[in-house]
Amino acid sequence: MIDMVVSILLGSLTAMVPIVLTSTGAVVSERAGVVNIGYEGILLMAALFGAMFAETSGNAWIGLLGGAFIGMLLGMLHGAITVYLKGDHIIPGIGVNILALGVVAFGIPAIWGTAGQHQVPTNFRIQPLINTQYGSLSPMIPITFAIVFITHWVLFNTPLGLRIRAVGENPEAADALGVNVERYRFLATVYGATLAGLGGAYLSVDWLGVVTKEISSGRGFIALANMVFSGWNPVRALIGGFIFGFFDNLSVWVRTNPAISQIIPWQFVAILPYIVTIIIVAGIIGKVRPPKWDGRPYKRE
Amino acid sequence: MEEVPIIDMKGIVKIYPDGTKALKGVDFSVKQGEIHGLLGENGAGKTTLMKILSGMLPPTEGKIYVKGREVQFKSPADALANGIGMVHQHFTLVEVFDALHNIILGMEGHGHFSKIDVDNARKKLQKLMDELNFQVPLDVPVENLPVGVQQRIEILKVLYRNVDVLILDEPTAVLTPIEVKELFDVLRTLKEQGKTIIFISHKLREVMEITDRVTVLRKGEVIGTVNTSEATPQLLARMMVGRDVVLRIQKPPKEPGEPILRVENLWVKGDRGEDAVKGLSFEVRAGEIFGIAGVEGNGQTELIEAITGLRKIEKGKIILNGKDITGRPPKELYNLGVAHIPEDRTHMGLILDMTVAENAVLGLHWREEFTGILNSIRWSNVKEHAKKLIEKFDIVAPGVDAPVKSLSGGNQQKLIVAREVSKNPELIVASQPTRGVDVASTEYIRNYLVKLRNENKAVLLVSADLDEVLQLSDRMAIMYEGQFVGIVKPEEVTEEQIGLMMGGIKDES
Ligand SMILES: Nc1ncnc2c1ncn2[C@@H]1O[C@H](COP(=O)(O)OP(=O)(O)OP(=O)(O)O)[C@@H](O)[C@H]1O
Ligand SMILES: [Mg+2]
Repeated sequence: MIDMVVSILLGSLTAMVPIVLTSTGAVVSERAGVVNIGYEGILLMAALFGAMFAETSGNAWIGLLGGAFIGMLLGMLHGAITVYLKGDHIIPGIGVNILALGVVAFGIPAIWGTAGQHQVPTNFRIQPLINTQYGSLSPMIPITFAIVFITHWVLFNTPLGLRIRAVGENPEAADALGVNVERYRFLATVYGATLAGLGGAYLSVDWLGVVTKEISSGRGFIALANMVFSGWNPVRALIGGFIFGFFDNLSVWVRTNPAISQIIPWQFVAILPYIVTIIIVAGIIGKVRPPKWDGRPYKRE
Repeated sequence: MEEVPIIDMKGIVKIYPDGTKALKGVDFSVKQGEIHGLLGENGAGKTTLMKILSGMLPPTEGKIYVKGREVQFKSPADALANGIGMVHQHFTLVEVFDALHNIILGMEGHGHFSKIDVDNARKKLQKLMDELNFQVPLDVPVENLPVGVQQRIEILKVLYRNVDVLILDEPTAVLTPIEVKELFDVLRTLKEQGKTIIFISHKLREVMEITDRVTVLRKGEVIGTVNTSEATPQLLARMMVGRDVVLRIQKPPKEPGEPILRVENLWVKGDRGEDAVKGLSFEVRAGEIFGIAGVEGNGQTELIEAITGLRKIEKGKIILNGKDITGRPPKELYNLGVAHIPEDRTHMGLILDMTVAENAVLGLHWREEFTGILNSIRWSNVKEHAKKLIEKFDIVAPGVDAPVKSLSGGNQQKLIVAREVSKNPELIVASQPTRGVDVASTEYIRNYLVKLRNENKAVLLVSADLDEVLQLSDRMAIMYEGQFVGIVKPEEVTEEQIGLMMGGIKDES
C-alpha cells in the first residue's frame, strides 16, 4: 500500500513539472495582460531543441537551458507582435503552434536521421536526485517548487510584481504614473514563454527521454486551463498542476499495469486529464476574474 | 519685470491620427500659485490640451515651457519629473488594488526585487492626508469605494509625487455638493502651500467660486483669458458658446394628464443583496417631469434599473399605461415606449469601440426602416439616421463612421439623448442626463426634456444636480436610504429644506 502511495506521489510530481512551469509562466504573462496560446508549440519546439542541445553539448543541463532559450526567443517574438506592434494576442499563438508541428516533423529526421521518434540516450538525460524502486525524484521537481514560490513572492510583494499586475489590470493607470507599460508587458511575456521552454526541454531530456511529434500532448493547453483554475495565482497553479499531474500519471500507470488495464481500458484513463480539465474549467469559469486588460493591446491615442 | 509663468504652452496644435484637428494653435499660460480655470464646450479640446501638458499625448506642433525652460514630454513620467501631474476625467485606478498600492505604483521604493515597504508608504501617506485633512481608507480595494473617495485617491496619487502643478479634469462631475465643498477646501489648502492648479469644469458657479483666472477654449482655439473677479457667468458662457446662453429654463405651466407610469410598493435589492429600494409608490403623469433628488447611492440607481427592466424586482408592481410590466425584459419595455438615458454612459449607454452610426441605432436596429432582406442591416438608412441626429443635436463628431470613443465626453452624452428621444417614447427615464455636458448642451438637453413634457410625454428625471431637479421638475421626490423623504413642488420649498431632506430629515413644520 505504502509503495503504491509513494509511487503515485512521485509519478504525480514528475508529471506535474511541465504543466506547473507553463502555468506559472502563463500567470505572469496574463497578469501583465498578454495572452499567449502558443505554449503548446513552445513545449514541442523546446523538447526538440532541448534534446539537440543536450546531445551536442554532452550536458543535459545545457539541454534544459537551451529549451528555455528557445522559449525565450519565441516569447520575444510574441512580445514584439503583441506589445510593441499592438497586434492580436491569439493569432501569433496559433502560428507558433502550427509552426511547431512542422518544425518537429522536419527536425527529428533532419537532426537524428530517424523518422517520427528519437530516443534520448540516458547519459544525456538529467539524472535523478533519488532513485527508488517505486520511481525517482528529478532535481527539476524542487527547482519547479522554487520557481513557483519565488515567482509568487515577486508578483505579490515587490515593485516589479506590482507593476506587472498594474499593466495587466489598467495599463492607462500605470502609464499615467510613469510606469513603462510596454517594458513590463514584454518582460512578463518573455518570462512566461521561457518557463514553458524549460518545461518543454524537461519532457525530452528528463522525464520522458524521447522526442516525438506528440510529446507535448496538449500540456500547453492544459497549463492554460490550470492557469484559469488557479485564478492567476502561481501557488494555486502548483496545486492545480499536481492534480493534473496525478491524472496524467495515472493514465501512464494504468497502461503499464496489466492487472488494472484489464478492468479499466487504459484509453479511458488516458483521456482523464482532459476530462478533468474540461470539468474544472467549466466549473470555475465566471467565478474567477481574469486581469481586466488581459489580451487587449494598449495604445495611448 | 514680468514674472515667468510656471507653465507656458505656445502654438499648440494637435491632430489626432484619424485627422481630427482638436487644437489649432493654442497659447496657454499659468502663473505660479494660481488656480486657473479652463472652460469650453464639449469637444473644445480641454482634455486634449491637458493630456499634452501631462505627457499623455505628444503635440503635433508647438512648444511647452516650464518655468521658462523648454521641455519635451515623451510620457507622463517626464511630466511628473517636471512637477506636473493630472487627474483624468475618466478615472485611472487599478480597481483591484487598494488605495495604498494605487498611490505608490511606480514609486514603490528602491529596486525591482526588494519587498515593498508598505509601512513606510502608509506613514508618508497618512502624513499627507493629515496635512490636507483629506482621508481615504488605504486598505480597501478601490472598486468597493464610492466615486467621491476614488476621486480623492486620484488626487492623492498625484500629490504623493510632489507635483507643483496639479491638473484636475472635471473633478466635480461625479461629486455631491458636500464633496465639492470638501474638495474646494483642499484646493485652497494646496494653493496656500504654493501649488498651482488647473481646474476644468462645466459648472460656471464652481469656476466663479474657486478660480483666480479663467481661459476659455472654443473649437480648438483660445477665446481669451480673464480674471475671475472681473467675470460673470453670463460673460463666460458667451465666450464659450459665442452667443448668449439662457441659464434659466423656460417652462410654461401645464396641467398633467393621466398617469403613464405607476410604481406600487416596489422593493429592489442592491448588488450586495441589501434592500436598496424599500416599498416605493409613486406615479409619473403625462405632461409632467417627476424629479428625484438625493445624494447618490440612496437607491436611485436600483430604482431606475428596476423600472427599465435591468434589475430584478423583489416585490411590488410597475404599471405602464395601465399595463402591468413588472419583470418584463428591456426590449419589450422599449417597444411599449420606454426610453432610458442611463447614468453611466460608457458602460451602459454606448459601445465605445463601435461607430457613431452603430451606436445611434442601438436598440432600434431591428426596426423596419433599418433592416433589409433576411434582417440584414440597411447601412445607408442607419447612417442617414445618425447624420440626422448629429445635425439636430449639434453633436461634434468626426463623422458617422468614427468610433464613439473618439468623441468628447459631452458629445457622447448628447448622442445617447438623441438616440433615446428619437425612439419617440411615452416615458423617458433620464438619469444624470447632463453630467459632464457643457452649458450650451445642458441648456439644450434640459429644454428638450421640457419640450417632451409639453408634448404630453412623461419624464422621470434622476439627478445628483439639485439645481437641475429644482429647475425642471413639476413635482420632485427626495430619496434617502431607499425611500422618499417627501414629494414636493419645487416652488414650494426652500433649498435648505431640501438639503435637510437629502440628509433624511423631514421638516414637519
Ligand atoms: N482619441 C481620439 N481620437 C480622435 N479624436 C479625438 C480623440 N480624443 C478626442 N478627440 C476629438 O478631439 C476633440 C477635443 O476633444 P477633448 O476630449 O479634448 O474635448 P473636451 O474639451 O475635453 O470636451 P469634454 O468637455 O466633453 O470633455 C473632439 O472633437 C474629440 O472628438
Ligand atoms: Mg474632456
